[in-house]
Order: sequence, then C-alpha cells, then structure tokens
Amino acid sequence: MDQLVQDLRAIVGADGVINEPAELLVYECDGLTQHKHRPRAVVFPTSTDEAAAVVKELARAGVSFAPRGAGTGLSGGALALDQGVVIELARMRRVLKVEPENRLAIVEAGLVNAQLSRAVAAHGLHYVPDPSSGASCTIGGNIAENAGGIHCLKYGTTTDHVLAARVVLSDGTVIDLGGAGAEAPGYDLLGVFVGAEGTFGIATEATVRLVPLPPAVRTLLADFADVNAASRAVSAIIAAGLVPAALEMLDGATIRAVEASVFAAGLPPDAEAALLIELDGLEAGLDDEAAQAEAICRAHGARHVRRAADEAERKKLWAARKGAFGAMGRLAPDLMLQDAVVPRSRLPEVLADIYRIGAHYHLRLANVFHAGDGNLHPLICFDLRDADEVRRVEAASHEIVETCVRAGGTITGEHGVGLDKKAYLPLIFSADDLATMLQVRAAFDPSGLCNPGKIIPAPRGCGEARAARAGTRRANGNAADAQPAAFVAAARQQPFAASGTPNRSQPAPLRAAFAPERAHRQLAALVGAEHVAAAQDAVTVAPASAEEACEIMRLCAHDGWPVVPAGAATWLDAGQSCTSTRVIINTRRMARLIRHEPADLVATAEAGLTFAAFNEATGRAGQWLPIDPPDDGRATIGGVIATGLGGAHGFSQGLPRGYVLGLRVVLADGRYIKAGGHVVKNVAGYDLCKLFTGSYGTLGLITELTCKLRPRPAHMTTMVVRAASGDTLLDGARRLRAGDFLPVALELLGPALAARLGLDAPHGQSALLVRFASKEATVVDQVRRARSLFARADALELITADAPLWQALAAEPCRASYQLGWRASVKPTDLPALIAALRVEHEGDATLCWHAGLGDGRVRVMQAAAESAAQVTARLVRVRRTAETLGGVLVVERAPTEVRQKIDAWGVRAAPAQLMRRIKQQLDPAGLLAPGRFF
Amino acid sequence: MSSQLNTALAHEESKLLACVHCGLCLEACPTYVHTGDENDGPRGRIYLMRAVEEGRLPATSPTFERHINRCLGCRACESACPAGVEYGQLLEAARADLQRVRVRTGWTNRLLRFALRHIWLHPARLRLAFSAARGARDLRLAKLLRATKLPRLLAPRFDFALALLAGSAAIPLTERAAPAPAHTQPPAVAANDARALLFAGCVMEGLFARINRATTRVLAANGCQTERPRGQVCCGALHAHAGDLAGARQLARQNIEAFADEQAAPVVTNAGGCGAMLASYGQLLAGDPQYAGRARRFSARVRDISQQLQATGLRTGAHISAPVTTYDASCHLLHGQRATTEPLALLSAIPDLVFAPLTGSDVCCGGAGVYNMLEPELAARVLAEKLKHVAATGAPLVATGNPGCHMQISAGAQLRGLPLRVCHPVELLDESYRQAGFYQTVTSAD
Repeated sequence: MDQLVQDLRAIVGADGVINEPAELLVYECDGLTQHKHRPRAVVFPTSTDEAAAVVKELARAGVSFAPRGAGTGLSGGALALDQGVVIELARMRRVLKVEPENRLAIVEAGLVNAQLSRAVAAHGLHYVPDPSSGASCTIGGNIAENAGGIHCLKYGTTTDHVLAARVVLSDGTVIDLGGAGAEAPGYDLLGVFVGAEGTFGIATEATVRLVPLPPAVRTLLADFADVNAASRAVSAIIAAGLVPAALEMLDGATIRAVEASVFAAGLPPDAEAALLIELDGLEAGLDDEAAQAEAICRAHGARHVRRAADEAERKKLWAARKGAFGAMGRLAPDLMLQDAVVPRSRLPEVLADIYRIGAHYHLRLANVFHAGDGNLHPLICFDLRDADEVRRVEAASHEIVETCVRAGGTITGEHGVGLDKKAYLPLIFSADDLATMLQVRAAFDPSGLCNPGKIIPAPRGCGEARAARAGTRRANGNAADAQPAAFVAAARQQPFAASGTPNRSQPAPLRAAFAPERAHRQLAALVGAEHVAAAQDAVTVAPASAEEACEIMRLCAHDGWPVVPAGAATWLDAGQSCTSTRVIINTRRMARLIRHEPADLVATAEAGLTFAAFNEATGRAGQWLPIDPPDDGRATIGGVIATGLGGAHGFSQGLPRGYVLGLRVVLADGRYIKAGGHVVKNVAGYDLCKLFTGSYGTLGLITELTCKLRPRPAHMTTMVVRAASGDTLLDGARRLRAGDFLPVALELLGPALAARLGLDAPHGQSALLVRFASKEATVVDQVRRARSLFARADALELITADAPLWQALAAEPCRASYQLGWRASVKPTDLPALIAALRVEHEGDATLCWHAGLGDGRVRVMQAAAESAAQVTARLVRVRRTAETLGGVLVVERAPTEVRQKIDAWGVRAAPAQLMRRIKQQLDPAGLLAPGRFF
Repeated sequence: MSSQLNTALAHEESKLLACVHCGLCLEACPTYVHTGDENDGPRGRIYLMRAVEEGRLPATSPTFERHINRCLGCRACESACPAGVEYGQLLEAARADLQRVRVRTGWTNRLLRFALRHIWLHPARLRLAFSAARGARDLRLAKLLRATKLPRLLAPRFDFALALLAGSAAIPLTERAAPAPAHTQPPAVAANDARALLFAGCVMEGLFARINRATTRVLAANGCQTERPRGQVCCGALHAHAGDLAGARQLARQNIEAFADEQAAPVVTNAGGCGAMLASYGQLLAGDPQYAGRARRFSARVRDISQQLQATGLRTGAHISAPVTTYDASCHLLHGQRATTEPLALLSAIPDLVFAPLTGSDVCCGGAGVYNMLEPELAARVLAEKLKHVAATGAPLVATGNPGCHMQISAGAQLRGLPLRVCHPVELLDESYRQAGFYQTVTSAD
C-alpha cells in the first residue's frame, strides 16, 4: 500500500484518509464539473494540530496538496492536480467561542456559513457574507475565495469580516494572522491571505466579525418589462445616495426557472427582469428610504413594486434568489456560471452585449446577479456531452469576459480564478503584475506545494517565479536563522546578493556612500532642479508622473540609495529608527483627481492629492471616503493608504484597507505594477492592495489609487456627554452599543484633550462624543433615545455643525509639539482595563492627551515628552505588556530617536514578522525602501 | 452514452442529469454532516450513480454499494434541491441495480430479504408475524429479555430490535396517566358528508392499531366518515428502499385494486413512510402500461391525516394535562408528502398544549425503515444527534407521524435510560377530543 497513506493514517486515524480510486472519484471536481482531477488521497484532519502534522508529512514527502471545504466553489480551486492530496476540512466544524459584546466568534474553518449565523442568532448577531451556497459552503472556503454574496453591497465581502485566521503554511508551521482587536500592526498578511484561494496556506480556524441583526428591514420586489430599464434603475438608486443592503437582479429566464422550482416565491413569470432591493437599518426613516427606492423603480418603468409583508415572505424571496443557479438545472444538464464585474454605470450596455453574444452562439443564456455591485453572473445552459455546444460555450464565455474587461471590469468578482480563469488573468494584469503576485506567493509558500497550478497561468514555465522561490527557500533553510549574530555578520559581508539575501534585522548598509550632492544632481536631471531639494543628508524629489517616479526609483536602485516615499511627510520617521541619509520621493506634484463616477460610487486619484481635496471633490456629488485618518489638512490620499490608519470612525466605517479597490505602485526595482482594479468586487489574482495598504512605503511607492466611496450622510450630530465618573460614560456607551443605535463614532476623550478641543469641561472630566450620521429623521430619533441612557451624566450637549470638532480630533496626532505618540488596541470589553492601566501610569499628569474608541477598543496617547528616554521606554514596555496580556497590541507612532532605538515600535509577533521579512525580501531584496522602518 | 441501457439507473438518466452539482443539498444530508465525506452526501451519491450509469464505475464496485447503502433515504436533499432532482427515485433505482449485481451478505440482510419476499408479500403470514411480535411486546417479553442484558452481549442489533418493539407500546398521554379507553366510539353525526378511505398499513395495523382507531375517530369527529377497503396490503416502501422494485410493484398493484371502488375519496394514511410510498406509485408504475394511469390517479388521492384534517376543517378539542410536547417531523411526511405546517396545525387544535419546538425537527432520526438494523453505527450517530436536540427542548413527550421514527426515538431513549415518551400527534388530538366529550357513545367507563 501507498506508504504516504499509511503515514497520514498514523496522524488522522484509519478513517481519516480515503485512497480507494472509486471513493476518490467524487473529489475529482468541485461545484464546476468541467475540470476533473482525481487526487491521490483525501485526508480529513479534525484539528489544527492534525492539519499541521499532515502538511508537514506531505512537505517531507514533497507531495502537493489542495485544501477543500464543501466543494461548492465554481472555479476548480479545490482540486488537487498532478496526484496531489486533498485536505478536507469538513470534520472541523465547531464554533469554538462567541463573544457577543466584542461582536466576534472563533470558529473552525469547516463550519458551514449558514450554521455560523444560526449559532449566534440568539445574541442578536449574524455573520454577514452570505454567498448563495451559504447553506453548504464553509467559512474556510469563504476565506480562500473572499466570498461575496447578496449583502456585500453595503457590508463588504469576507475580507471585511475576518479579523484573524490560524493558518497552516506549506511547511507545516502554524501562524496566526491578524488579531481580534481593531489593529494588527505590520503588513496586512491576513488581507492578502483572504482570497488567495488556498495557495498561501490552509486556514484552519478563523476569528470572524459578527454584526447585529438589523433592527428593521424592508424588502422590495420590482418587476420590469425589460432588463435595460431595470439596470438603469440600479444606477439611479445608487446615484441617489441609497445604499441598499442588497440589490439583486433576476432576468426573465431565471424568474421562470425559479418559479418552476421548490423555491417559487411568486415572481411574475411574464416579467423580463426583477429587482430585489433590501434596505435595512433603524426603523425611523426606513420607510422613507423604501418609498424613495420604490419611486425610482417606478420612474424607470417598474410595472409593480411589492414589499415583503413579513419575515416569511422576505425569506422566500431570498431563497428564490439563492436557489436560482440550481433551479436553472431544470433547463439543461450542465450550466456554465460566469462571474464578472463591470462598473455599475455600464450595466445596461454590457448586459445587451451579453445577450447578443448568447444569441450569436445559439446558446440559452440567463442572468441572475448582484446588480448593486455590478457583479454579473451570466448562466449558460448546455450539455457537456455535446462537443460542439461545449466549444460554443467556451467561445461565448471568452467573449463575455472580454466584454466586461473592455467596460472597465474584472474577470471574477467572487468565484475566484482557480483553474477555470487562469487564461483570462492576462486580460487585466501585465507580466510584471503577475510576477509580483508570484513573488508574494513564493514568500508564503516557498516550496510551491500549496495548491499549485491555480490562479497564475503556467507558473512552472515562469523562470522569474522559480528564481524567486529558490531564493526564498535558501533564505528559509539558512542555518543562520537560528543564529542571528552570525547571520547578521554574514549579511554584512555579502549584503546584496541578487537573490537569497538573508533576512535582515538591521537597516541595510549602503553599497556606496550616499552623496547628497551627486544625488541632487542626478535627480535634477530627471525632474528638473526646481523639484529637487536638499536638507541635511536627505534629498527630496518630487516627480510629476509615475514615469518619472519609476526613473527615480531605477536610479536609486542602481546606486543603492535608500528611498522613503512621502506625501505630507507626517510619518517620515514612523517605525524603527530609519536612516536619515536618503532620497525622499514626494508625491505632491501628482495630485489629480483622475475619475469619479457617482453612479459607480468609485473615484480614482493620484497619490499626492490631499485627503481633504479628495473628499471635497467627491463631496460635490454627495459622496465621500468616510474614514478619518490622522490629518491636519495636509495628509495625502496616498499617505492615508500607505499608513492604513483610521480614526474615531473606524469601528463603524472601517479602515482605509476596506476602501482600496485598486493601486498603481512603483516597486523598488522601478517596475510599475497595478493591483486590484476599478470595480467594487474583484477577486482576480491576489489582493495586493491589502499588502501595500499600511506597509508604510516599505514595499513600493503608491502613485495612483482607486477607492470605493459612500454617500455622504445628509445629517450629522454629535452628543457630548460629561460625567465626573468615567464609569457613567463607559456604562452609557456600552448600553448604547447593545441597543438599537447605529452611532458612527463613540469616542472617549481624556480631560486634557477635551479641554484642548474647546469642550470646556469642568476640571478633570472626561468627555464622551457620540456621533450619529444619517437621514435627519434617523439621527433625531437616535439622539432622542440616546439621551435617556445618560440620565446620570453631569452635562449633555448637542453639536449639529460638528465637522470642525472631528477634524480637530483627527489633526491632533499630527501636531509637532507632541514628541511622543502611541496607540494601542484591545478588544472593546478589555478597553476599560487598558484605560485604567493608563491612568495608573500617568497618575497626576494633567497634560496627558488621550482618546479611546469605545466601539473598537482603541486608545491613542499623545504627550510632549518631559521625561528621560529610559523612563518613557520603561513605561511603554509596561503598557505594551498590559495590552498584550489582554490580547492586544501597542504601536509607537512617534518618539525621540533614543526611545525608538530601545523599543520595537510595532510589536509584531515573531511568526508574522518572519513572513513579513520574506515578503520584503521578495519585493525589495536590496532593502532600499524605507530601510529600518520595520526591519 | 450509457453502457448499461437495461439498468434501472439508465432509465432515470434525465433525473441524474438534473443535478448541477451545486452542493446545496450537503448540509441537509444527515450522513454527510456526520462523516464529512462527499461520498456520503446526495451530490456525491448522484455522482457515483452517474459514474455507474456512464460506465466509469462498475455497478459491482464496493464503493458504490457501500455509499448507496449508507443513504438513509430520508429525502431531505429533495427539499433543499433547487433543481428538483428526484433523489428518492434515483436511490431506489440504484438499489435495484445493486440488488441485480450482487446480494448483500450478512445475516441481517439475508433475514431482511427473506422477510420481504416470504412474509411481507403474503398477508396471512404477515398478520401472524405481527401478532407474534405484539404478543411478545404486550407480555413484556421484549422488556424482560432486555433487562437480562443478554441480548446486548449477544448482539447489540438484536437488543436494539427488542427496544424498537417495546417502543411501539401505548404510553400514558396525560399526567394523570389514565389509559385511553379501548373502544370509544365516534359520534354518529357527520357535520359534512366527507368520506375518506383509510390505508391501514402493515406495521401500523400490526403494532399501532390504536393509532388507526384514533385516526378514524378524529376524522369522524370532524365530519369525515372513514372506510377501510378490504384487500389492501403493505405499501411496499420497505421493498422499494431495499431495491426490490418488483416486490414493491406487486404490492402497489394490489393496493390500487383494493382502493379502486371509490375513485373520488381521498386515501388517508397516518404513517409518513407509507404515505410517501403511496404517493409515488405513479412513478413506480410509470412503465406499466396497464397500471400507469391508474397509479398516477391513485397517488394524487393520497393524504396524510394532518393534511386531510386541514382540508376537512379541524375542531378544537379540550385542554389535556399532557406534559411539554415537541414534534419531530417524519422525513417522508415532510420531504415526501410535503406536510410542513399541517401536523403542527393538528397539535394546535389542542388548547394550551405546551409546545417546545425541536431544533433539527426536519432532520432524520436514523430509523429510516430498517436502516437502523442495516447500518447500526451511522444510525446510532444520527439518533444521538436527534436525542440531543430533543433533550434541549426539555419536553418529555415527542409526537411524530411515522412508526419507524416512533420506535427509533423510543428505542434510543430506552437504551440511554431517558424519561422520554413517544406518541403520534393524532393520539394526542384523540385524547383531547375524548375529554371534550366529542365521543358521546362511550361503551366502557374510564
């Protein structure tokens, strides 16, 4: 018998491995039957430890593997090619922990999506991403594919709802990515892992975000005599500033198939299109929104608009939508389900093209899709046994995808690339883009055993990837890893080998002495002398275009000069002590708003545009980027993305990472690449946007970015509550969070900061800021009800023109007078403990400025350092220990050089730090970009 | 393309092709949930069937046999399937093909085949067998034998079989523990002129005759007179599920003849398994030119007692002091006859009955005909899950509308020493009607 199988059985038990050829037959395909590869064996681990042991064994034997959940994927992603082994997680389906107050759950990866929501429903919570396969698909599979679903228009996709993941890497090591708090410092490894389709490792456990069940819901069904009218209604709804929780379209053929199935929901069979619109939120004002949506539908030719009378009818309508794919099975033996995304505003023309293509190839074609996201799902009916028809299906699919790409879209919005769409990837990504993705893949999986043959076309033929992998493998296997001193010495002797440069724990030494005068001269030759400036040892250069930036980067790479990208230069010295002799590339001359299409809720800008100008421009159409990063008015949009920082509105609106749809980046070697795209849903290739967001310029220079926007709320009000006892404020905030309220910010300000912001608090009182933002009726209703929660407070004041207050708060961290600044994040329930520790540490210091996010467990502290470096360091170490004991993190934002030399600014755990180094090693082997900032 | 045109599966090719492999059925399948093995899920089993039908896998493959036999046949996948795959019929076809190529070994199997052929097809022998079983039960022989712990040592399966038998006994429904009088008569007055024909069923009449009588009384109390046509036999469900389609068809024809006199009256059953079988006669005999049309018409007349009461109208009875009650849906009643809300409506005709909803009521209990005897290990896991959910309701009384489920849950409770009792919903309603005084011509005092 197969020795490998015996070894695997020793780990998972006799019934934990399948290897009979006949029993392996069903594992030859996933939800997409067109691709068939029978695995060598299927292994069923029941714990992370078992999964790790299995992977270790496979790595030892040099056998590749593919993780699998429920096998409902639609891109052939869960198949093991070349006699690889399938690692099936279906027996890991436990909910390990639910923390209702922190709104999170820890679950095993094989847990079924719908079971998770069922398990937490008693707490009034649910897990939002709800792909149509939700009744069967697993959380692990959702993470691999970055699954979307019906409700991601308003709430985002899987990547927005996974806080942490326990991952088995391809060598069998177990690593925790992300964290349960508001922030996980360092590269967003989790962000790039989600959607990597199981090619970076196997997620075995996940910490997921739970969201309160909406207090009120309105579900509308509008039917139309033609598809075109329905898709124009979709654009009109978005442009009107409504953000439905879901906005779905079914065309006539789909309606009729569904109505013939067990999921019949009374959709009008003579309609050519139906829109399912779901609005959710607070009861107050929701009927107005529903009426507005209804009016828009009617204005665009809706024949009837019906509201679901009760929960039963609502469930029936959604079951009809979700069962549509299967229901189409009535029409033909096989189905080809496409998955492409176009900008919403292009839906009418693209849909017309798709029907034309179907007719041209004499195929039966239907459309059922996430209209609000522009995520099309053309369904082609055929018979796999009819070779000619199969050829026509393939040709039509190809044309459909090309049509979507031409319209500015992408090749897959939620199903993934897998095996099925590898060939399409070059339609949207250049060779350099793909090579960069392969480099990141090599950092995660140096051995190449983890789900090989997926996503990127012909990886084996790509010499660059092979080289990259070989390099990392050498670095990895280097015995010096275990002996840092010897290792660093070796690195110093031979610092710039083309590949295989070992990991550094110190700033890169320079190849040749950096001569500012020479750099000044050469840079001036590239961009003109007036755009180059020298200060001390640094030279600042401002390119006018991405091309110039590339040339500058190539020049620096050639001469081995350290480069620091900068926008407003607020965080120039963020992180570890960074060398001061360097070239600073400033983006201020690249400040155009390139594109803004209100119906798409998307804007593209150059990196040097200020955040304020960006929001002013998009605000003209009633839209904005609703984040509040540290900003004194000078912050650039590129800087905001590069630092990835949010602010008080982070817990309701998310962080910058959630808004970046696409980036253009100059890499350390001068290559110019693109990540992501221009549409709101996109799972084509790896999500490198996540990697660059928050990487502080250590992986590349961001020159252009595309962000998704939100409608700007019509009405905003801040309640300022003061009380002598901090507990009164904390208690009120907790009850606010537990009740039917949707505050956008819930910020506690220390006494000194409250006073600085002009909230003339009586001496020694903290202030709680509660902000509501929505339609007027909704805000007024919340303010009215919220008052009663603070009956015991000393004072309660309402500020209606509250924007300056929040701008002032956001500007605080940028003030030059603070010499010390740090932030910490823990789970919300642990925040009072952290604040208590802070108060003990700074007993009697009335000047300490701090504010805390009660919704997401975040604290930021700013101080004009009056103490010695040793005292400051000791205190930071103590507070960090407190934060880490609570499972949180502490990041030093700014500190005197002497402090930064003594303390690790980021506090990244060892295992993620190692992975970060491997990524840095792949993308910037010479260590030129912001050397020393992370390592 | 089929290489085995004469097989039962080949005849069902179009039903096989209806599956689009979406996987929405997986979580509905109790065996998949327990093993996580695609081969043990509906989609995987259909894939195996298609592989056999297309000649990619021989029908003699032990894999095919193992996973087709491990199917409970609960048909929960049909309710989950958007493409409307008629899985139950595919399963019967697959089992028929298995039957053709090899006979399952093992004594339980041989015993089953023998019984299905030589006892069930002969009404007199079947009556004799059931009266022997009833005797053993009523003389408490089954209980006494189990108490010796000998059966468990000898063969756990035998022990379980005895518990099943004991589980069919009548139980006190109310807290006062007054046994229902045996010969209560329904009122003579008929509120409307509705008529129904009762399908008595072999197990129902053999071990649960009291429920058949309760059914008749309850129908009468709602103005529906019941006839019990002579010549009716077993419905054939056990034969069909075991792949003995010939046996099933023979019984089906006999039943169609027996119920032929009154073409307009509905055929009422109180056993989910029988009802679903009778309702599929149209499919079963579709290839029989002489019976196809009649079978279709017969199937269209079949109703569960709860569905029939919904149609005739349902009177509210009197409050009874029953303990907290939960309801477990019979799979074939739910997925085969689509009786979703009707059984609950029946229970709600009992005023103030304290009802505790059961999580996973729509999931199989593991009884599945004789599955618990053939696949005891997996059946036990499925049953354990069911009992866990029942325990969570805190209800000491479970109502369910099928004898297999009735005995399975009761047997599970006995084996674990749980204070759990099982009854048919109609037994509770009957008691409620009795206490309401709907049955005026009482012959024996209580």
